[in-house]
Amino acid sequence: MILSDLKQGEKAKVIDYSNVDELIRLRFFQLGMKENKEIYVKRKLPFGGPYVIESCGQCISIRKEEAEKIKVKAK
Amino acid sequence: MNTSQIALLGNPNTGKTSLFNALTGSYAYVGNWSGVTVEKKIGEMRNKQGKLIDLPGIYTLSPLSQDESVVTNFLVNESFTEILNIVDASQLKRNLNLTVQLLELGRPITIGLNMMDVARQRGIHIDSNQLSKELKVPVIPIIARTGQGCERLNNCIASEEKEMIDPLRLDYGPILEETIKKMKDLIPECNGIPKRWMAIQYLEGNSEMMKQLESSDSELKIIAKEADRTLKEEKVAKSTQHHIADVRDKFIQNIIDASCEVKIHAKETLTDIVDRIVTNRFLGIPIFLGLMYLMFMLTFNWLGTPLSDGLDAFIGGPLTNWLTAGLEAVGASTFIKDLILKGIVAGVGGVLVFVPQIFILFFFISLLEDSGYMARVAVIMDKIMESIGLNGKAFIPLIIGFGCNVPGVMAARTVEQPKERLLTVMLTPFMSCSARLPVYALFAGAFFAEHQALIVLSMYVLGIVVALALAKFLSSTILKQEKSMFFVELPPYRMPQMRTLWRSTWEKGKGFVRKAGTYIFGGSVLIWLLAYTGPSGINVAMDDSFLAMIGGVIAPLLVPLGFGTWQAAASLLTGFLAKEVVVASMSIIYFVPEAQLQGFMAGQFTPLSAYAFMVFILLYVPCLATVAVIRKETNSKKWMTLSIVYGLVIAYILVFIIYQGGKILGFS
Repeated sequence: MILSDLKQGEKAKVIDYSNVDELIRLRFFQLGMKENKEIYVKRKLPFGGPYVIESCGQCISIRKEEAEKIKVKAK
Repeated sequence: MNTSQIALLGNPNTGKTSLFNALTGSYAYVGNWSGVTVEKKIGEMRNKQGKLIDLPGIYTLSPLSQDESVVTNFLVNESFTEILNIVDASQLKRNLNLTVQLLELGRPITIGLNMMDVARQRGIHIDSNQLSKELKVPVIPIIARTGQGCERLNNCIASEEKEMIDPLRLDYGPILEETIKKMKDLIPECNGIPKRWMAIQYLEGNSEMMKQLESSDSELKIIAKEADRTLKEEKVAKSTQHHIADVRDKFIQNIIDASCEVKIHAKETLTDIVDRIVTNRFLGIPIFLGLMYLMFMLTFNWLGTPLSDGLDAFIGGPLTNWLTAGLEAVGASTFIKDLILKGIVAGVGGVLVFVPQIFILFFFISLLEDSGYMARVAVIMDKIMESIGLNGKAFIPLIIGFGCNVPGVMAARTVEQPKERLLTVMLTPFMSCSARLPVYALFAGAFFAEHQALIVLSMYVLGIVVALALAKFLSSTILKQEKSMFFVELPPYRMPQMRTLWRSTWEKGKGFVRKAGTYIFGGSVLIWLLAYTGPSGINVAMDDSFLAMIGGVIAPLLVPLGFGTWQAAASLLTGFLAKEVVVASMSIIYFVPEAQLQGFMAGQFTPLSAYAFMVFILLYVPCLATVAVIRKETNSKKWMTLSIVYGLVIAYILVFIIYQGGKILGFS
């Protein structure tokens, strides 16, 4: 299951970040967003726009295509 | 003692600017870092005990964007006496990551534990004494926005001669410790910086450190690779970076367990509620456009224009009268009287009347920046920006460019991808900066009095449209890139503080006032002299002056655009110095006070040619200061030249179409 499978307002556990683009993966890493942590899809913007997600107390925004590379497990 | 140099370091969005403002009176100066063109802000401490150096906000020392690379460079190469590390109490774990890296450096350090109030609201209770004991450095709880605790912090830093502290020494396990030992033998002596720290930074992948250690890079790389492989083989960690992070996490978790008490109550915060509205699927973009509209109406119609008119009445009336009386009283010659009244007062005064509008605009830009709404704008705009090969973050430099293109171009540094950054730099000059506003205000007031705000707004929109079209063109041709990327942190909203707002408005606006005293003053004197003198001597009729001759050479080129007079040509030439000089030039050339200038213009332009002239001003060339900053930021003469050339070409073609098309459609 991937992050973009979640609906707005749903939570899951991150299994794997390794497919995410390097620059963004490094930023996640710097922010302490690591595997096995809870992730929450706060908002999906219309027309395939970016996602607003929350993990480890961080609120960030990434594109849909990046969200599709994050593997998660339903809680 | 007055020699303390305190480096202010911390994560982004932790209240660094608020703390800087609370601790310092004013910026002593703004300069550039040696080698890189990133703004260096230094402030004099209020208690005169030293200087505070403001560094860009970073999550860790390993840089991912241009502005972040300054920090490692600073720590290694610049001199400072101590570090002030601002830590967000509500995000302690993430913030302490940077703190650990700084503690490993072993310089004297004081921690300002900020946002104690926010942390408390979230149910986090921190025992700052315990935290201080665990970290073995002073920890002072503060609320930077209100200034609470800053007095104590002030007394703690720069109060006495600080000695070097023992660098924090975490045990990174046998494999890495062995690696670090080997690396230390290869690393050359460098400003007394602990070699262990340099080795760890290198292993973490800090690109700035790799650059620093270039001379022994090839050997270091082999050792680092070897360590990475061993860590993987022995299943210690996924990579060296992961391993270092794990060790630090454990250390930080122990500290947090010992000094924090967390009673989480998952309550919806105000930020969540506001976000639900402003990033709403349907309402997001309309709300943003509505806010922009409100900002323009306040700046140009409701608030700014009455203020500008008042100031203009004062300069044209009482001030001119006093000066005339004063000059007559001291028996000044006609030449001096003309120079001062017709040259300087007309030129500089014609521009100064727009100060209220410009400050109002800067105030709103500061408000957008301080409140945290800017990051949301990046999210809302990302989809549109993606379609032209950029990301939503690039929209922020463009909005800042509305105030002034120079900081806009510099703000492009926060865009991580080099190609997207270059593209953003090249687009910013099309953002209609506040210096162009006097020109619009003049023409819109004269020809479109009833639709002033709408006409001015159309300039801004046109600037954006041209920029987006050019972006699409460049990103699908010269700057064809594999991929555009988007990442932005959404900090909680904060109620903007009046003090911070005023300060950042002033910091931005004072450049405009300073320009009035330098470029515009000099430009005015020069233009007046050129208009006053001619081949046949001095005090010639304006039409026989040098200025008329120079303008006359270019004027024929401008005939197809609707404003082929030598006056318009000469004004445009001077506009390269700074766009508001165009108005100063016109005030001098037509020598009528600003209030009457508008009426006078009606004889020189038609509404259509006035609009054409405004569009030309919007697009034709970036001002001198912007061209210089483009040269610095892109580090390329080619891009600098291109920014001038394509500006001129686009302006000429577009204005030609507008004017000739307008004529065909029957406008005049």
